[in-house]
Amino acid sequence: MHGSVMPRGPVSSAPVLEVEHLVKRYRDVTALAGVSLTIGAGEIFALLGPNGAGKTTLIGAVCGLVKKTSGTIRLFGVDLDREPLRPRYDVGLVPQEVNFDPFFTVSESLRIQLGYYARPPDEARIREVLEALSLDDKADAQTRALSGGMKRRLLIAKALVHRPRLVFLDEPTAGVDVELRRDLWAYVRRLRSQGTTVILTTHYLEEAEELADRVGIINSGRLLLVEDKVSLLRRMGEKRVRITFDAPVGELPIALDGKAELSEDRRSLVVTERNGRPRAGEILRQLHAGGINVSEVDTRASRLEDVLIEILHSGGGGAA
Amino acid sequence: MNATGLQTLFVKEVRRFLRVPGQTVLSPLISTTLYFVVFGVSLGGRMEEATGQAYLPFIVPGLVFLGLANNAFLNTSSSLFIMKIQGTIVDLLVAPLGPGELLFGFVGGGMVRGLAVGLLTWAVALVFAGFQLAHPLVTFGFLLGTAYVFSVLGLVAAVWAEKFEQINFFPTFVMLPLTFLGGVFYSISRLPEPWRTISHFNPMVYMVEGLRYGMLGTSALPPAVGGLILLMLALASTALTFTLLARGYKLKQ
Repeated sequence: MHGSVMPRGPVSSAPVLEVEHLVKRYRDVTALAGVSLTIGAGEIFALLGPNGAGKTTLIGAVCGLVKKTSGTIRLFGVDLDREPLRPRYDVGLVPQEVNFDPFFTVSESLRIQLGYYARPPDEARIREVLEALSLDDKADAQTRALSGGMKRRLLIAKALVHRPRLVFLDEPTAGVDVELRRDLWAYVRRLRSQGTTVILTTHYLEEAEELADRVGIINSGRLLLVEDKVSLLRRMGEKRVRITFDAPVGELPIALDGKAELSEDRRSLVVTERNGRPRAGEILRQLHAGGINVSEVDTRASRLEDVLIEILHSGGGGAA
Repeated sequence: MNATGLQTLFVKEVRRFLRVPGQTVLSPLISTTLYFVVFGVSLGGRMEEATGQAYLPFIVPGLVFLGLANNAFLNTSSSLFIMKIQGTIVDLLVAPLGPGELLFGFVGGGMVRGLAVGLLTWAVALVFAGFQLAHPLVTFGFLLGTAYVFSVLGLVAAVWAEKFEQINFFPTFVMLPLTFLGGVFYSISRLPEPWRTISHFNPMVYMVEGLRYGMLGTSALPPAVGGLILLMLALASTALTFTLLARGYKLKQ
């Protein structure tokens, strides 16, 4: 019997997952073309990319669902080629496809899950997870009687009930209502505060923007970029500031030098700020000093979605 | 070894078939009872005239074998195959369960169902044919061995099958003909040549005759040969299934 579940230490910078030159080929298709990635303890990492990019294959290779062609995967410092099972006591996966065992109730499914991970039956833990996912009133319901959203909540509960140190959420909120999405986000933040590492894939970039510490962008089996979310948005993102004047302006008191664009009717000026330059605030100050009256200032910061589209179109982010 | 994981899978497998007892236990029991009524009660008299021996007790070991082998096979094959189709196999593949835990967890569940149906069939037979147990150890050895081998074979079928048609292939096209031609309802010693010789290549014959020796004390074939065949089948099927599970054949992408 597996007697020693890996210790749950405090958040540290020791890698939880290290993937080196991971390749997966299906006959003629290369799903992963030499992916290397390191995930530290206690972070929330969002893996983004279009359909068929290799996100689920990468997660599957780590979780034992996909047989890799070559490369190395280390979980909690353990090479899976040498010890494929030991690190998995501390891993949880919410798969993309909803599945359920129709023979058992919600709480029975969680008890079974605890047993698979060599944990004793823990009713308090089962109640805690059910409450966190608003499933407590469904504890004795047959899984086949649950609605689609409830089934997805159960999937999440199953992945978390054994207190894994590393959780994979593969499209956890696909097709679910806003309420569950918000509940899940709150719970993911709570997990991180407890030192759990979370790796998620999502089509909702708002989700990654909301939760992730770092993002990885993958396309055609290649990891194009891995970067801190804030620095990525600062580096690649842009802020468009539209300054509308009271009346058409004549000569501007500043040299535009390509820093801003005046509209044809000379009633507005658009400043595109990248990496903090040019500073829209400084331009506004100069306009004010030049006696030009501004009636409206409208700001739109680019979001992760814009950055993702730009990176996918350009084929890389320049700083992987 | 993940003993708690293995125990959990085993208990889950047993509870799974107990959740639908009408389908998993009662239904096969009714089929076997009908065999007793049709072959035993209505045709038995004529068979006794021809063979000179009591026919109802003669078919008991074969019918016990039939219920036991079919249900041991069906439990593992349907359980794993449904998990593949429904996607719940992911729970097992992600969990720290090695090929040994998967093999013995599923097979344990299959054996319990096979033995439950086999022993209930035997209990029903008491009504029609009375109780006979000439060699208890031989009988229980064959019951356990048969339950084990067919549970493992059910697992092989489930690993291999990708469609419902394929999972029905083994019971319909392999097990049913081999069982009915395996001396359940007749003694192969009464078969004309070349059928008698051909029957010797059917492993089911040895299992049925081994059980017959254990229960009735007589058989057309030496029980030691049956025991050896059962042992070899158990070893070969275990090695094959363990390898398939370890490689994730048709389970992992």
